[in-house]
Amino acid sequence: MDVDTRNMTPTNLVDKIVVPGDVVLDLTKMENQTIKLGSGLRQDCDCVSVMQAGKLRLSKPNKYWVESSQKRYVPSLEDTVLGIVVEHRSDNFLVDIKAPNLAFLPVLAFEGGTRRNIPKFETGTLIYARVVKANGIMNPELSCTDASGKAAEFGQLKNGYMFETSTGLARMLLSSPTCPVLEALGKKISFETAVGLNGRVWVNASSPDDVILVSNAITRSEFLSGTQQRIMAEKLLERLEKS
Amino acid sequence: MEQRWANTWRLTINEKQFIEEALRSEIRVDGRRLYDYRRLTIKFGREDGSSEVQLGETHVMAFVTGQLMQPYRDRPNEGTLAIFTEFSPMADPSFEPGRPGEAAIELGRVIDRGLRESRAVDMESLCVVAGKSVWAIRVDLHIIDNGGNLIDAANIAALAALSTFRRPECSVGGDDSQEIIVHDPEVRDPIPLTIHHFPIAVTFAFFHEGNTLVMDPHYKEEAVSGVRMTVTVNSNGDVCAIQKAGGEGIVSGDVMRCLRIASLKASEMTTKIKEAVETYNAEVALKKVKRHPSLIAQKITVPDVEMKEASFQKTKKLNADMENSPNQTSTSLTITKDRDANASIGRPLNWDPYSSSAPAIVSSSTLPELVGTSKESNEDQMMQRDEEYDPSLKNDQIASATGVSSEFHQQNSPPKSLKDAVKPKHKRKKNAERGAR
Repeated sequence: MDVDTRNMTPTNLVDKIVVPGDVVLDLTKMENQTIKLGSGLRQDCDCVSVMQAGKLRLSKPNKYWVESSQKRYVPSLEDTVLGIVVEHRSDNFLVDIKAPNLAFLPVLAFEGGTRRNIPKFETGTLIYARVVKANGIMNPELSCTDASGKAAEFGQLKNGYMFETSTGLARMLLSSPTCPVLEALGKKISFETAVGLNGRVWVNASSPDDVILVSNAITRSEFLSGTQQRIMAEKLLERLEKS
Repeated sequence: MEQRWANTWRLTINEKQFIEEALRSEIRVDGRRLYDYRRLTIKFGREDGSSEVQLGETHVMAFVTGQLMQPYRDRPNEGTLAIFTEFSPMADPSFEPGRPGEAAIELGRVIDRGLRESRAVDMESLCVVAGKSVWAIRVDLHIIDNGGNLIDAANIAALAALSTFRRPECSVGGDDSQEIIVHDPEVRDPIPLTIHHFPIAVTFAFFHEGNTLVMDPHYKEEAVSGVRMTVTVNSNGDVCAIQKAGGEGIVSGDVMRCLRIASLKASEMTTKIKEAVETYNAEVALKKVKRHPSLIAQKITVPDVEMKEASFQKTKKLNADMENSPNQTSTSLTITKDRDANASIGRPLNWDPYSSSAPAIVSSSTLPELVGTSKESNEDQMMQRDEEYDPSLKNDQIASATGVSSEFHQQNSPPKSLKDAVKPKHKRKKNAERGAR
């Protein structure tokens, strides 16, 4: 396989858009190094090539992955997602997380969960959970506790409104510093949100007007830059104040 | 089985409760008011009788085709109208390919009833020979994206497509005056259908046991409500069809309320559809105006021609004898420039081996200059016609080019281009296929 000479230095393509087939790293030039490859990258003998279109990211010292945005979600470990309960089986709940397979949420994976106090989730319950097992083949597994066993805001989300977005927008909403649209809205309205990396967002506020405003502002902010998002949010807020 | 579970869309308890609560204060989730429609865009395809309608996120396409067939026995002097629906699996996770499901059949029936029972399309004008041959009109509706309220969008698409559909004109003739001759669209203009009125379908969704009415529901509202009613009315206030689907019943007072609201919306919709159809017809009419062959050739050929011409002229320069004197006056220079431009534009498409205008044979010193300027003049002429080009590119060249272009057109009128000879053949083939269908 011909290796493109421009990809010799590993840092060339970081934070740039890559397409499937691009060779990102030439391993013959890098010896005695451990490199971790995340989603969207694949090792072909001596070089690392891209499998999914998106932006190449590097987390120092040695983690590479490709960030792409789509409507479907590919489960990966330690992601926090919003799932909808589909069915209650004897030892786990079947939860839909927009992945190719339904996810299993063990009935005991809650803080202080025992056989006696199994939560009663009916079909259609919205749950905020964490992915604990995800490989491409088996059904992913979720948990409603953090690593130490505490609840930490996981569990059922009550009231509010849920809407779906692309995975890219969900990541933008979770980025730090705070996403501009959330900041601009937060100055005037008090609301709470739960963002799932699988492209689901839950919003709750005191009045339905506020909830609708926040959800529409978030949906519209996907392709806007920071300043544009602020302007859009301010315009929506003005309209609400006038009426 | 689990695979199918993973792929369906589900409504959460939170959404259901929220939508109902918001409707108590008369607010809808996307910020609309109760009786607001989403944004409607009507577009038309390249062929007559094809339309594409977007109502918010819902996306529907309609195609109308016609065929000569035997009429039904009980209606020997009327044409037939048939509606077919296809719910593409890409529109919604619950749509399966293959046989149309319940929703697809219901949609087809409602639209069919609206058009047929109200006699919106004139069937008797579709008769060619009574009892033997009539036009069978077929409307194909394709649902591409399900954002809710498919019936309204599909109805508008069907009406728009029917308004722009043209059937070939046919007359009875032949030896025994029983033969039907279908005229070629090039020979006689195809005729539109006679549509007496536009039946507009308006869908309502009911919440809170019939107390709250919502117009143009989107798919979440449809899923939450479960009770839906579609009324088809036209702008004259005639009721063409009513269809109620869903569990709970509604009071007759509500039905009358819906009819009244719907007739107001129907006149709005009818004007929108008519405007879109008229704009489209105007565009088509403009395209039909026979343009000067030089203009057509020019628009299409520019980049390729220049390249070929540049290399051609260079080789010509090397091989041919120089006929013109090296010293050229400015006037003769312009003339050769014209002929140069003429030749360079005309080359591959307008090239007539028997025409007298041989390509200009120019002295070597002036050749690169001329090739350069002719290139630019071509582009400028292109720019004048094509407003999308960036005018800032070569503003200074436009003034010089206009002078060139006017002379150039006059020169180019006599020779008949190869393109003219080729074009009609293609058209005839295409339309012969259509007529025979």
